[in-house]
Amino acid sequence: MSTILACAALAAVTVAQDSGDTRNSWTVSADVVYTAAGEPIEGGLVTVSDGKIRSVSKGDGGQLECYAVTPGLIDLSARIERDWNSVEQSNEVTPQMRVADALDWFDESWKREARGGITTVMVNFNDRNVVGGMSVVVKTAGESAKSRTVKADAVLYGAIGSAPSSNNHPAFGRPDDFYSRRPTTRMGVEWEWRKALYDAAAAKKDKTRAVAGTSELQKALAGEFPLMIQAWTTQDIRTAVFLKEEMEREGFGSPRLVVDAAAEAWREPDLLVRSKTAVVLPPFTSLGRTGDNSFFAWDTAALLHARGIVVALSGHGSREPSQGLAYQPGYAMRGGMTFDAALAAVTIQPARIVGIDARTGSLEAGKDADLVLWSGKPFEPTSAVIGVLVDGRLVLDPRTSTK
Amino acid sequence: MLSILLCLGGLVPAMQTAPSQEHGASTTFAVRAKHLRLFGNEVVENGVLVVESGKVKYAGDAKRAGALGSDVLEHDGWLSAGLVACRSYAGARGELMEPKRSLTEDAHVADVVDRSHPDFERALRAGITTLVLTPWSSNVACGATAVVKTEGGEFVSREAHLLLGFGSGALRNNRYPTSYASAIGEIESRLARPEGVWQRVANGKLPVMLDAGTREEIQRAVQFASEHKLKGALNRAPLAGELAADVKRSGLAVIAGPFGPGTSERTLASIVALGKERVPLAFGADSPWTSDESLRLSAAMCVRAGLDAQTAWEALTSTAAQIAGAGERVGRLTPGADADFVLWSGDPLELSSRVQAVYIEGRRAFGGDE
Repeated sequence: MSTILACAALAAVTVAQDSGDTRNSWTVSADVVYTAAGEPIEGGLVTVSDGKIRSVSKGDGGQLECYAVTPGLIDLSARIERDWNSVEQSNEVTPQMRVADALDWFDESWKREARGGITTVMVNFNDRNVVGGMSVVVKTAGESAKSRTVKADAVLYGAIGSAPSSNNHPAFGRPDDFYSRRPTTRMGVEWEWRKALYDAAAAKKDKTRAVAGTSELQKALAGEFPLMIQAWTTQDIRTAVFLKEEMEREGFGSPRLVVDAAAEAWREPDLLVRSKTAVVLPPFTSLGRTGDNSFFAWDTAALLHARGIVVALSGHGSREPSQGLAYQPGYAMRGGMTFDAALAAVTIQPARIVGIDARTGSLEAGKDADLVLWSGKPFEPTSAVIGVLVDGRLVLDPRTSTK
Repeated sequence: MLSILLCLGGLVPAMQTAPSQEHGASTTFAVRAKHLRLFGNEVVENGVLVVESGKVKYAGDAKRAGALGSDVLEHDGWLSAGLVACRSYAGARGELMEPKRSLTEDAHVADVVDRSHPDFERALRAGITTLVLTPWSSNVACGATAVVKTEGGEFVSREAHLLLGFGSGALRNNRYPTSYASAIGEIESRLARPEGVWQRVANGKLPVMLDAGTREEIQRAVQFASEHKLKGALNRAPLAGELAADVKRSGLAVIAGPFGPGTSERTLASIVALGKERVPLAFGADSPWTSDESLRLSAAMCVRAGLDAQTAWEALTSTAAQIAGAGERVGRLTPGADADFVLWSGDPLELSSRVQAVYIEGRRAFGGDE
């Protein structure tokens, strides 16, 4: 009963805090502070007040102590809501839909993400629609939906590959309702993309052709926000890049393409360099086989980074503990990535991809106080996340989490 | 059940003598009651209610009532305002939703309700004199509610609220929309360029009733109402109290219940939290699927869980009337209000008390001649 009352007393979407400590001003000292903005600081002190980082310097004697501090991790491929009613089944092209409208701010996953060191996530639509809709970037903890929202309409998200067409029954011999969804093939998926983009471009000249979602597609074409497309396999990555290049050739605009779950990107680095495409990688798997029957090589992140491609790592909404974002830099390093590049791939690089790097992604004075406190060197298998601050508030308290 | 009764109240009052005279024939009469339950928690011992032409002329201490005339009814029990149920499906079962279309904003319960249906008499017997008739909440825009008395053909209001479905019940996978985001987008686009009923909603003339089940749905509805400055109430919303501060800020009321022995402690704690935050609160009876007696039972269970008795009583009467948009006419025995009242065997907040007679607009509608 008392727990029920305690729950009731909390503000709307607050993630329960370990310590019950609601301060948002702290000093944190560590043997090493990895800022993701320059050299690590040995014997460093981070001071936080009113939810912002005030200084990062040499020093000790912080209220919170640990071996290492990194910026809060950023996952650009989270899916908090996977219920059937998060997908608009009456249409496959729904660019006007907004994840933020249907977000479950109370899902238990938030707490799990936050306590795993992930302080910012982009929540994308389920891949069952071709053009899913607008993603939102939010903090994993905080007082209210409003205060947690970092960026509304961050990217237009969709998918290429087998996911949007799988289990869609052929219309033949079945009633013509949307139990028989289209498309049913990869070709159909690509056709839906091309038609949506051409229609949006045509509506630019002839406004009477505008339909729901036209303006979102036009903004994506104009590069006002990135166009993020899930494409696991080589052929699907090629399709995504070719679509972008076709739009440019036609003079429709210059979309800022981000390929999500680009497991087989290692097969086409030239194409990605040529088209200035950024990639978000899915979680590593032990045998390399992953979504859409793609093969994800251990050295993918290292190889793409070496070619100058912007790389972010992600958990891709996986519920597998070993596929959490905090483990991914370790796997990327095993594939040959340097520590600095691996750290950047879960902090400042994803922040840049969605344009939130002025607020978060590195430890610099003036930025949001999103910090992860580690028991040992970050991303080592034996190191644990022992403390997390989101906007200066303790979500995981290192003074109690290690006892 | 027994424990509820014992928690609620002192001793069960001894059997009262039922009024025996015929009243309502004359346009002016008075009722002298041993206990008169007024607004809030005020109970007047040896009170008097004076009725003139169907309206309350005076309610209060007998000493200050002046001369009562010849037509005086003695009631050796309790007298209170008639109860107001803020959600009922009386007289319209099977007619409350259009499954082929998700937006039926122009539908009116008032158009389909059968005013001679026995559902209304059942409500009357439970001491309910005013009902808010609501469409079924299985559409995105479900239609308009109506406010009626439990006897008499006239509507207090033919269009009291627009009911909007923020719950998963409004979504079906055989019609558009199937998703929360599309449903909200549809409502949003109608409010952006409002016409017809949406115009009345957008300019605050017509309150909304926002149906929501889970906590995330409630949060979404509250946020939507705040962003669009909608007036009205959350419908059902059992866990609204866990977001009590947000609900309070939004200005929305909550129409809770009906509750019964199976209602969880968490739900009841949520209602108590709403009461503490002073969010306007009322109950639904959901008749004919739930007994009309569940209205008083809902209030009683909340009191047992910690809601103060005054808030519970107001939720059954004056606050409910305000949420129904009929606060000037019903829910309080103030001069000029409709003379809708109930003669009880004991305190109406005690479940053991029986309804002995019900008057609507000064006319006896039930009981009184046993």
